[in-house]
Amino acid sequence: MAVDSTAEGSAASPALRADGSGGVPADAATQNSSSEPPVDSIVGTADDGIVRQIDHDDFDPVGTLVLVLIYMVILLSMWVFMYFIEFLGRGLTVVG
Amino acid sequence: MEIHAYEKLWLALALVLIVGFIGTITYGAAGAGIDMIDDKGGTVDPTTLDDHPKFGDPGIEKTGENQYDVYVVTRQFVFEPGTTQPIRVPEGSTVTFHVTAADVIHGFEVVGTNANTMAIPGQVAEFTVEFDEPGEYGLLCNEYCGSGHHVMEGKLVVMEQSEFDSWYEQQQQEEEN
Repeated sequence: MAVDSTAEGSAASPALRADGSGGVPADAATQNSSSEPPVDSIVGTADDGIVRQIDHDDFDPVGTLVLVLIYMVILLSMWVFMYFIEFLGRGLTVVG
Repeated sequence: MEIHAYEKLWLALALVLIVGFIGTITYGAAGAGIDMIDDKGGTVDPTTLDDHPKFGDPGIEKTGENQYDVYVVTRQFVFEPGTTQPIRVPEGSTVTFHVTAADVIHGFEVVGTNANTMAIPGQVAEFTVEFDEPGEYGLLCNEYCGSGHHVMEGKLVVMEQSEFDSWYEQQQQEEEN
């Protein structure tokens, strides 16, 4: 195929440039008519050999949960530091 | 719609966090007594500040037991009082500041504290602060007010009660004479 294509391409290139239609559709048509493409090569399909089926709640994104919890702990400690230590602990404060 | 248990958990935690943020602000206002500076100080004519009964001769005056009013005029590039003479207040006192500007917008910040306001021509910023221990604070202008903005600074001295009383009496006598 590669050899054919190269030979055809080099021979046909002046003509292709001239009419602009190109040789690919013709090539694809030839391919389609000659044999069905393997299923794997079509975008959106994949091997559907299911290894293990689980319910909605059986999937536990523990890593995401841990990240969210770490994020919240950081947020909470930064808030406590900023408000109670940096702001309220600054001595003179406007009280009226 | 089916929501995963973990997702419910972190949605709930996020809500608790928001309620917590609002709760601390509420605590600051209701529990710790933090107040905001608003327009309760009223207005004043900035062109005739010298004729004003208070801002004409700004300084400290006693209004009650351990309660004082301090009038401060800010102008390019001094605090009056504050820059040439420090603002003097006694320890353990409650002091209400009345700050205004004679020319352009200035800032009045007791450095390193939350006592901080804009000084706007025509507007009086009024706020109350409690002073506990004797000590010294810096004052600075934190609103760009012109070419000398960077040198606009002052001093606030919290004095011991007896020391302050004698100074205050002396001031009163000088004013009378």
